[in-house]
Amino acid sequence: MFPYTVMILKNSSLPGGIAVKIKRSIILFALAAGVILLPGAAFAHHSTAEYDMTTVSPIKGTVTKFEWSNPHAYIYIEAKDDKGNTVEWTGELASLGMLARVNWKRDTVKPGDAITMYGNRAKDGRTVMRLEKIAFANGQELSAQVR
Amino acid sequence: MLRYRVKSSIVAGAALVLFLPAIFCQTANPSKAAAVPDLTGVWMIDQFHPALFPKGTMPPFTPWGEAQFKKADTLVNDPNLACLPHGIPRMMFVPLPMQIFQVPDMVLIYEEAGNQIRQIHMNRGHRTDLDPTYNGDSVGKWDGQTLVVDTVGFNDVTWLDHVGLPHTDALHVVERIHRADHNTLVDDFKIEDPKAYTTPWTASQTYHLKPGWEIAEYVCDNNKYVYHEK
Repeated sequence: MFPYTVMILKNSSLPGGIAVKIKRSIILFALAAGVILLPGAAFAHHSTAEYDMTTVSPIKGTVTKFEWSNPHAYIYIEAKDDKGNTVEWTGELASLGMLARVNWKRDTVKPGDAITMYGNRAKDGRTVMRLEKIAFANGQELSAQVR
Repeated sequence: MLRYRVKSSIVAGAALVLFLPAIFCQTANPSKAAAVPDLTGVWMIDQFHPALFPKGTMPPFTPWGEAQFKKADTLVNDPNLACLPHGIPRMMFVPLPMQIFQVPDMVLIYEEAGNQIRQIHMNRGHRTDLDPTYNGDSVGKWDGQTLVVDTVGFNDVTWLDHVGLPHTDALHVVERIHRADHNTLVDDFKIEDPKAYTTPWTASQTYHLKPGWEIAEYVCDNNKYVYHEK
């Protein structure tokens, strides 16, 4: 990841002006940092302060794991960044009692399912989001929040 | 003969009309007709308040209290990380339902959060040999339609709210719980802890009745956070 990043930064013959190059390198660094830090990162939240609650972002990918558990259920997906590199995204869900009240079950998503996660991204740039809803491959949506 | 029948019919009809409201009140408002108010049911907060003092406001901290609050970090030393109990009053502010039961000599509040049960003893005052606990020792009595709950005997581990308001083992919580209407419950809190706050302060949470909801099992078997003691 890092050698590739350095290559992008050094290669001034890439299309786009300097602003685009800077933006591209920032994105690459953020993605690289996310992939490297992810395995051991502490996904703590007991308020929504860790998430950017002003924006709901879509991330499309393939489910690798669904942890049906308390205090939170988790969906892990493999997504692609805009360079085509694989990035793992984590969707944090509510507790099981609340999920069941909006018709979630332990097999609502399974490894291999193609889904889109919609949620509030972590403010610190980690590839983690607090899930609002998901969309299945057929376009059907399922809310993750009790209203 | 006929006149007598008509008269008695009119009297019977009038009696029915007079007593109809009382009959309907009995069935539609059991809490008014019953001797002991009825707070039972599954209740859910109407709005989540992670901070009891939202941005721009502060409780009346002592210097110790303020220093403790500055150390609070929801990512590192929130005692609810690693699924430790929320304690009082935080347990009453969580975005999860609770079920109130009324049994002889006790009001029980069964919280979905961690499947904790609050025991509110209606037949005694505070014990004098209290070992400090997460949820303290709660005793209650009725004041008209209001359940007044007095809790002492806390350890100092928990936070008062979700963003880190501190307390000591001197914490004393008084709650006034009443049913504003059939579908609405209100818990008004008075928080007193002279080691952390210079004066008592108040907070409130409103709940809505959730007919048909059951309290789900909540076993914290996939906790991902490491709790570092403060």
